[in-house]
Amino acid sequence: MTKTNENRELNAAVTVSRRSVLLGATVAVAAPMMIAGRARADSTLTVTCWGGDYHKGIDSIFAKPFTAETGIPVRLVDNADLARMKAQVQSGRLEWDVFDSVGPQITAGAKDGLWEPVDEKIVNRSDLVVPGGTHYVGTYMFAGGLAFDPKRTPDAKAPAVFKDFWDVKAYPGRRGLRPRISETLEMALIADGVEPAKLYPLDVERGFAALDRIKPHIKKWIEATPQTVTLITANELDFTYSYISRVRPAQIAGSSIAISTRQTLNSLEYLAVAKGTANREAAMRYVDFCLRPDRQAAFAETLFFSPNSKRGLAAASAEARKYMPDTQNPANAVVDDEWWAQNYSALQKRFTEWLLI
Amino acid sequence: MNHALDTRHAALLLAPLTLLMLLFFLMPALSIVWTSVHGGQLDLAAYRELLTSALFRRVLATTFEISIEATALTLVIGYAIAMHLARLTPSARAVMMIFVMLPFWTSILVKSFAFTIVLGDAGLVNRAISWLFGTETPIPMLFNRVGVVLGMLNFLLPFMVLPVLGNLLAQDRTLQRAAETMGAGPVRIFLRITLPLSLPGVLSGVLMCLSLSVGSYITPALLGGRTDMMMANLVDFYTRQTLDWPAASAIAMVLLLITALIVVLLTRVRGGNVEVL
Repeated sequence: MTKTNENRELNAAVTVSRRSVLLGATVAVAAPMMIAGRARADSTLTVTCWGGDYHKGIDSIFAKPFTAETGIPVRLVDNADLARMKAQVQSGRLEWDVFDSVGPQITAGAKDGLWEPVDEKIVNRSDLVVPGGTHYVGTYMFAGGLAFDPKRTPDAKAPAVFKDFWDVKAYPGRRGLRPRISETLEMALIADGVEPAKLYPLDVERGFAALDRIKPHIKKWIEATPQTVTLITANELDFTYSYISRVRPAQIAGSSIAISTRQTLNSLEYLAVAKGTANREAAMRYVDFCLRPDRQAAFAETLFFSPNSKRGLAAASAEARKYMPDTQNPANAVVDDEWWAQNYSALQKRFTEWLLI
Repeated sequence: MNHALDTRHAALLLAPLTLLMLLFFLMPALSIVWTSVHGGQLDLAAYRELLTSALFRRVLATTFEISIEATALTLVIGYAIAMHLARLTPSARAVMMIFVMLPFWTSILVKSFAFTIVLGDAGLVNRAISWLFGTETPIPMLFNRVGVVLGMLNFLLPFMVLPVLGNLLAQDRTLQRAAETMGAGPVRIFLRITLPLSLPGVLSGVLMCLSLSVGSYITPALLGGRTDMMMANLVDFYTRQTLDWPAASAIAMVLLLITALIVVLLTRVRGGNVEVL
């Protein structure tokens, strides 16, 4: 604690000297060292986050109660990306202790050796629906499905399952998909008749053949996730692949948008601990805390995610369940991040080339 | 004696900027060079891979197509705006400059989202057209090349208007008056006097627009179609999605070299006398 204060004072001293001496370059040299110094000495746990309602939810359900119980302060940092995490691990100057992200990022990070192995003595996985890997654990599930504007296209006329989305004659409309191969390839295969339970290993050639058929009918390959919602509400697209956790807040805010829950692709969000962090033990305790059934259930009530804890799942209310990804529905599939860890890079390259032709 | 003192003063005055450039430009650039040849062991594998990559070649071609299209359109419109501004009284010009500078002060991300409302099927432009001409089918202006070029035009305009305007204002008006007295029409005056004299301004505008647009990232991602992928989007793909930093660095180096080449070529054309803002 004293060390932290010292560093804060040093930082303040540097700021003052910048004003008085105006030796910009000296400060520029000193500042990064100061910041790095603070990050190392700090006992605050830094966890990456995604901003907005998500930030508020994580803070009130995980971070604050964790601090109350353990006395370890938690700082949430928004919009972290894997490239910066990699730079931190490579340079040995860690600012972030726990990384919160989706499968493709977490597994890519694992491949690059960015994570500490999960400490099984601290992290209890016995209650988890999907146990995760040696270097990361799943925290909750989010669902992607087909979004539409119920005012413009009444339920019966909007594609509800992926097969409908591919049927451009029965469901005419302007369509939007993501320019990412994961999830998109699963959609294509399910639309082509593959049983959701028997998706993996993915039949890549069959998937691309199905994508060839839908390609001329896609008006926009949507890069930015918020656009999967705004392009529907701005009447630029009729049907997009979006997420319940994006559509539901838009609904609450009064936008005319709906998402079909008859078929969804469910993906896990993960936590991983940055390699070489001085706060390794506290970080593992935080991960374990997030997996507690009562926290998991509370999180499901606040945001529209499905707990990865079996007991947490059972404790979720009927109201929360309405908007939660449904793992029991046989029409739904769970995205296999282990499979993507092996194939994502090569397939995304192929897919990006395919998009350009 | 005096001269030596001046040089020492100059060196002292230049030192902070030089230091800043060394720290924040040269060092990162060198570290990118290093990363591009050091993916595990020291070799040129990343560059070799780029040479054989159809994806890279396509994206490179698209990047220059879009940059040249956007710069050309910016030149035509920017020049017209600059000419108009040059003819206004200083106070009127100051007011009009605010409109030119407006895109400068708006976040490019916000602008790109806003263009959806302007250029979309149900957007302002299309609604105006269908109201005026009674047409039903909207003109596609979003998620294609038109969208990207218009989005970039909006962002590039100040970079063209400012250098051209600066040049036009500095031109000696008596030359035009002399030509008028000798019986030259406005077109002839423009082609023989105004335009040739303004070339340095045009050149620096074109240089800035070209080098800014080859690095575009948000505009093609949000307003472009599937074939409008640009280099920065590819760099992002390698940096953040696949964590293949040697490949990303190699692309950045190729892009930097090509841009540097353009700058050298264009300055050569003008005999090395480029007026930069």
